[in-house]
Amino acid sequence: MRSSALSIEQSHSGAVCIVALRGRIDSTSAGDVMTRLSNLITSGERAILVDLGAVLYLTSAAFRVLLVATDEAERGSARLALCNVMGHVRELFEMGGLLDAFTIHGSREEALARLS
Amino acid sequence: MRASTVRIAEISIRSDMAELAKLRDSLDRLGTELGVPGKPLMQLQVALDEIASNVIKYGWPDGGNHKLCVRITGQPGRIEVEVIDDGPEFDPRLAPLPEAAPAGKRRPGGLGIHMVKQLVDRLEYERAGGRNRTIIIKRYTRRRVSDRRVSA
Repeated sequence: MRSSALSIEQSHSGAVCIVALRGRIDSTSAGDVMTRLSNLITSGERAILVDLGAVLYLTSAAFRVLLVATDEAERGSARLALCNVMGHVRELFEMGGLLDAFTIHGSREEALARLS
Repeated sequence: MRASTVRIAEISIRSDMAELAKLRDSLDRLGTELGVPGKPLMQLQVALDEIASNVIKYGWPDGGNHKLCVRITGQPGRIEVEVIDDGPEFDPRLAPLPEAAPAGKRRPGGLGIHMVKQLVDRLEYERAGGRNRTIIIKRYTRRRVSDRRVSA
């Protein structure tokens, strides 16, 4: 059994689709995130907010997925942003030199105000 | 009294990404037993995922049934993870840095190794007997919880 691997929770706030990730995004689970985000972009969501507040850690496989999804969203005239990038997780973004590669908002509320 | 505080886990996995969960669980278990705090354990998990997934992705371009052998040696203050594979020679210490490119245009092949170098205290490599032997070492300060040792 995959112990505390990853869970993906999806909800809407107005026109924004929120994807809340919880747990670990690594080589075994990054594909699930890609599938979910691709499906949302393909289905015509215009604003996607990925909440990383409950993520324990992410690896380069996760960064790759987020980069590809951001690119896919842009090509589909949609916006993809991240929020709650804190603590250990933020340090991993810094190590990868990736803080500038994404649109990152502070809290979920702040992100929703910007995306709505 | 415990004879030794060294813990060793040896795991052999198939070259399949789904198998990495076994490594993750073993490292979690050993880290918990040793009282490794969350942050260094998390950093080592990321580093191990990067090293092992790299081997699975690039190690055997022709496919086939291959195995990775991983030995995790934990002792107070230090965890060493050794990854052995029979793929083509690959020295992660020499991996190029991910080139700077706009989001989505990156080819972040070297990103994982670039992160490993920052996440662990040592990254060692040797090619011996037709195998790659990659070692990562992480030092930590033990979590101060109900210490099991009882003073006389």
